[in-house]
Amino acid sequence: MNILSQELKMSVASMLYWTGALVFFVFIFMFMYPPISRDAAIIENVLSNFPLELRRALGITTLNLSQLLGFYGFIFVYVLLIGSVYAMKSGISVLSEEVRSKTVDFLLAKPVSRKTVVSAKILSVLSNLIVQNILFIVISYLIISAYKQDYFDMAVFTLLDLSLIQVQLFFAALGFFLSVIIKKIKSVLPISLAMVFVFFILQMLGESLNDPKLVYITPFSYFNAADIINNGSYQLSFLLINLTIILILTGSTYLIYLRKDLPSI
Amino acid sequence: MNVIEIDHLSKYYGKARGIIDVSFTVKEGEIYGFIGPNGAGKSTTIRTLLALIYPSSGNARIFGKDCIKEGPNIRSDIGYLPSEVFYYDNMKVIDLLKYSASFYKNIDQNRIYELADIMDLDLKRKIEDLSYGNKKKVGIVQGLLHRPRLIILDEPTSGLDPLMQQKFFDLITAENEHGATILFSSHILSEVQKLCSRVAIIKEGRIMSIEDIKTLRSNNYKKFKIDMDETVSDDYFNIDGVANLYADQNSFSFLFKGDINKMIDIIHSKKINNLIVEEPALEEIFMHYYEKEA
Repeated sequence: MNILSQELKMSVASMLYWTGALVFFVFIFMFMYPPISRDAAIIENVLSNFPLELRRALGITTLNLSQLLGFYGFIFVYVLLIGSVYAMKSGISVLSEEVRSKTVDFLLAKPVSRKTVVSAKILSVLSNLIVQNILFIVISYLIISAYKQDYFDMAVFTLLDLSLIQVQLFFAALGFFLSVIIKKIKSVLPISLAMVFVFFILQMLGESLNDPKLVYITPFSYFNAADIINNGSYQLSFLLINLTIILILTGSTYLIYLRKDLPSI
Repeated sequence: MNVIEIDHLSKYYGKARGIIDVSFTVKEGEIYGFIGPNGAGKSTTIRTLLALIYPSSGNARIFGKDCIKEGPNIRSDIGYLPSEVFYYDNMKVIDLLKYSASFYKNIDQNRIYELADIMDLDLKRKIEDLSYGNKKKVGIVQGLLHRPRLIILDEPTSGLDPLMQQKFFDLITAENEHGATILFSSHILSEVQKLCSRVAIIKEGRIMSIEDIKTLRSNNYKKFKIDMDETVSDDYFNIDGVANLYADQNSFSFLFKGDINKMIDIIHSKKINNLIVEEPALEEIFMHYYEKEA
């Protein structure tokens, strides 16, 4: 418990900043919704001149931008992107931070098992993500409410918002795993950005090329906003794949961290 | 009873040598010195005892329990001061010490203030604002606040000024009198001599010898450097007890063990320009261990 509360104390500010960034992004981009929905016909006309591959990559072949949920789905892709960078950054740094700040000889010389340390740290990332998502769901709902007119599918909106934490958990788990297999991590953010963008670009490629295989390797495809809006549900197979990957990466993290030599100074 | 039992412990980092076949035991209530030059394997041995790294072969037991398997259990009775001290920069000293205390049962919080007072440590400052010496003090307090039965000190005095070193030695001695066993690693022979009853000497990953401190003291070499004002033969200083004699025109350097008055007499009978007498570096003493074996 003491490690968990220490971790939370050190990370809560960063979590709030990133939550602020997510909310701010939604707040700003929703300003674009009224004009876009008003002139939907013109905009769709302009967009239809874009090459099909580009429209697919941006997700605008399947999303109706003139509808509130369609537009929210369009900008939600970028919410996923920002949220994933935060999750990945937290995942990578939570275990490697002790090595980078050279405090590993302090913490691991205490009467705690490595299992306890890993659990406490993973739990701290999980808590931050949960709090972040609760805040995000509440605030994004408040923002959306300002634009809500007649019909609005609350269930689909919630499904969309709930996909954020699932994608984040994927990247957090990937972060844990990378942090125990990479020998020296000098700075966390560049790696996080690079990894998240690689997966994001894979998703765009998958959409653009209509490649059914690429869809399976990136969580951005598992929780594709257009699919969620059009089907009104998640796809069970993707849900399970995502969960399995998260469990395998987290399990491996334990196994490796319990066995590895902690680098000295 | 043996508090530490190290049995044929080896550690390789890939192919690189960490320690090779290290064995020694530390008895309860002992202050045990562990000396060797930098990079000899002192920290590797200590970090294995704390299960921060895992041995390649051999094993080590503390309080009769395996260091790796029962690590968390054992460590509740160990206080450890690492050679390089680093703590969470954003924390205040007092918060760090309370965090450290939160890992142990039945902690007397007053002990923090007591130790901080002895070591003259300002508890309200942020870790990142502390000098190296002050961080070292934080390390000392966090290592001692739970009254451990075994105290492991890795190069504890670096960064402390002489006054603080003395206070620290007093503190360690007091803990020892209360029954704590102490493993004291250092590359400075004189401070080990002052405190310890026995020493293990390690070089290039291997234990060279384990000595009673009395024996080491009787091997007390002094290093002489002399610039002569008049010409003498190269063998002029070659009396009984002189080793590693180098002569370069009128400059001489050598190690001397024995009655210092004899040497003073020899020097006194000639005119000299300059005279330096100092403690030999540990490496120079190690030379003799090699020579003894050869």
